[in-house]
Amino acid sequence: MPPRSSPSGSGSGSSSSSSPPRTLPLAARAWVGTVFLLSGFAALLYQVVWQRSLFAIYGINVEAVTMVVTAFMLGLGLGSLAGGVLSKDGTRNVLRLFALVEALIGAFGLVSLPIFHGVGQATLGLPLAVVFLVTFVLVLLPTMLMGSTLPLLVAFLVRSTGNVGKSVGSLYFVNTIGSAFASALSVVYLLGHQGQKRTVFIAAGFNFTVAVLALIGERLFRSPPVTETTKEEVPS
Amino acid sequence: MSANTFEATSAPSPASRTDASSENTGSSAIPPFVLVVAGLTGFLALGYEILWFRVLAFATWGLPASFGILLAVYLLGIAVGSRIAGAFCKKEVEKFDPAVLKSLGIFVGISSIAASFVGPAFGMLAKTREWPWPLGFVAIAAGLLGAVLPLLCHFGIAPDERAGSKLSYVYLANIVGSTLGSFVTGFLFLDRLPIAKVGLVLYVGGLLVAGTILARAKLSQTGKIATGIVLVALLATAGPVMNKAWDRIYEKLLYKTHDDGESRFSDIIETKSGVITVTKDGTVYGGGAYDGRLNVSVVNDRNGIARAYGIGAMKPNAKKVLMIGLASGSWARVIENLPGVEDFTIVEINPGYTELISRYPTVAPILKDPRIHIVFDDGRRWLNRNPNEKFDLVVMNTTWHWRSNITNLLSQEFMELVRGHLAPGGLFYFNTTSSADAQKTAATVFPYALRVYNFVAVSDAPFSFDKERWKKILTDYKMDGVAAVDTSTEAGQKRYEDLLSYADTVHAPPTDTGLESRESILARTKDDTVVTDDNMVIEWRTVFRFPEGP
Repeated sequence: MPPRSSPSGSGSGSSSSSSPPRTLPLAARAWVGTVFLLSGFAALLYQVVWQRSLFAIYGINVEAVTMVVTAFMLGLGLGSLAGGVLSKDGTRNVLRLFALVEALIGAFGLVSLPIFHGVGQATLGLPLAVVFLVTFVLVLLPTMLMGSTLPLLVAFLVRSTGNVGKSVGSLYFVNTIGSAFASALSVVYLLGHQGQKRTVFIAAGFNFTVAVLALIGERLFRSPPVTETTKEEVPS
Repeated sequence: MSANTFEATSAPSPASRTDASSENTGSSAIPPFVLVVAGLTGFLALGYEILWFRVLAFATWGLPASFGILLAVYLLGIAVGSRIAGAFCKKEVEKFDPAVLKSLGIFVGISSIAASFVGPAFGMLAKTREWPWPLGFVAIAAGLLGAVLPLLCHFGIAPDERAGSKLSYVYLANIVGSTLGSFVTGFLFLDRLPIAKVGLVLYVGGLLVAGTILARAKLSQTGKIATGIVLVALLATAGPVMNKAWDRIYEKLLYKTHDDGESRFSDIIETKSGVITVTKDGTVYGGGAYDGRLNVSVVNDRNGIARAYGIGAMKPNAKKVLMIGLASGSWARVIENLPGVEDFTIVEINPGYTELISRYPTVAPILKDPRIHIVFDDGRRWLNRNPNEKFDLVVMNTTWHWRSNITNLLSQEFMELVRGHLAPGGLFYFNTTSSADAQKTAATVFPYALRVYNFVAVSDAPFSFDKERWKKILTDYKMDGVAAVDTSTEAGQKRYEDLLSYADTVHAPPTDTGLESRESILARTKDDTVVTDDNMVIEWRTVFRFPEGP
């Protein structure tokens, strides 16, 4: 059993820099792209519906809108940090983590609207600062999960390609394309024809699909974990 | 997605990578400069998005789809921009390579210039093109903005196994900047500055960020001089250029094809809650949508104010009154003078309306009436937060039934909420803006309903538009001691008789402008849909609308 690299021992140099970059096969590239596109698609559907749902509870005055949007953004930011922390360990299987994260987002999505409604009604009479705190906590879990996906996949891709700019640009590209499609589709069709509940269920369906695709891809296009063995294989 | 999206075109040899990493040992932390730039560019990107949305929302009267479409185009631009940025990252570079910094600075500079003209472009094209056309400029500007993050990461993050971790810091800085950009622009700038000044602040901010990046890019001497000259020239001309670009922006967006190129509003009030404009003839527009006219005269009725007087025919002597939405104040002015009103609460979401009202003597007295309490809040939220407040009358001269978030005020759930705030025999009277869905919803939720022109009155107790009460209102109503209708003149008498005959329309076949019974409403709207918070049907019946200018 090869020893795991500790986070502190896998800094910018050492093990990673000795891990040879590879060109991913076309199928792997298409798979990563599809997975992250669908992930971005689902994430934006949630944001559209959740914000609508929270606006109905907390109001659409600029203070309430700011409160909800800020909670979303901070959740994404903190999630990004969490994803970054998880991706530090070179031996950790980031694709499995990614699949788990997507499944958790989907699970939360399924019960999200009743939770928002229940908590919203329970907190309406509280002071604004408390309401902000509650809203923040309410959206923290799912948005943190969403925010963690980019660092996880960047970690996977950089380990495979050795190019940060292209990795970030490529993942950002497909994820944002997915979100753009979701934004357009939500207003052109989903919100008007499916309503909030069904739109959220559709998003959850995408999350579970992404989780399965990630697990399948993990088996097919596995990026070898950084181990002492692989280090030794690197020519000097 | 192109085939080479994930292609590592020139991965370095393991040996060179080892050398590079050795050089970077000890400097693996992300420099603060990278995090600051990530934050500032995020600030600018979201600041511009807020600014563009204000312009687009005004042009579309707050069409629900407008934000989703803007966001889709914005994200598409960001996506393509980040993809194009990949082309600049093909060559494997050392961390902190000044060459990347040069590209980054140029991208930030060009994107700032492009982004600053998107808002004015909506105005410039409004006369000849519908609102979706200028979205092309949004895509271009967002594309340039979208290129920044990958370039910044390529510059500041080493391609090692901690790239994901480091990316998360840059991403977080970008998100924090974005949040602040959204907050500061939407909450402070748009509340305290005219839109042209907000555009100027973002424009200058973008140029300064670009200049700061380029100053670190180790340009050649010629490059430095050229960059300095361009930057100074752009900064020196920024004020006049932005003033010219944003001049008459709201007039252009409102009048569209009817814009004469010269007319200016008599009033523009810009707050964080929206934009209120008043034309020379006293017509008020909130966020670009018709919001009523400054008129309280039932004789020279240019704004359907007779519907407010009609309250007296349905709910005489209402003591405690709630009105959701103040707008021009004309309705409040009429209602405060209805017989019996003792306590009048008004919930308005935009504080700018009281400023507007204070400027017009026709309606200004409502600000001094001790019976009137104006609360600035979301109407639905206020009802939720004050469950024990009961009213004899709840009035809502609601905006257009298809505007964004109007579901919150026209859904079945909202009507149930209002029901809980009605005193025994209380009446809820609101504008459906002729929406069959809203009328069906009201007539379904309440057992008693009556359509009054495009308003619907509903209650849990029987009521009618009583002709005798209507007659009494028309003869006895006084505002500042002046009768509503002067029947001593021939014209006044004719107007009085026209108004009085309105009470008889309930017995005639229903017309768009007359009275209509609950049974008739339900029969007529049998194929329409009850509005719920979930289906939001009222907002999405027609996704794309192209409002015309007045």
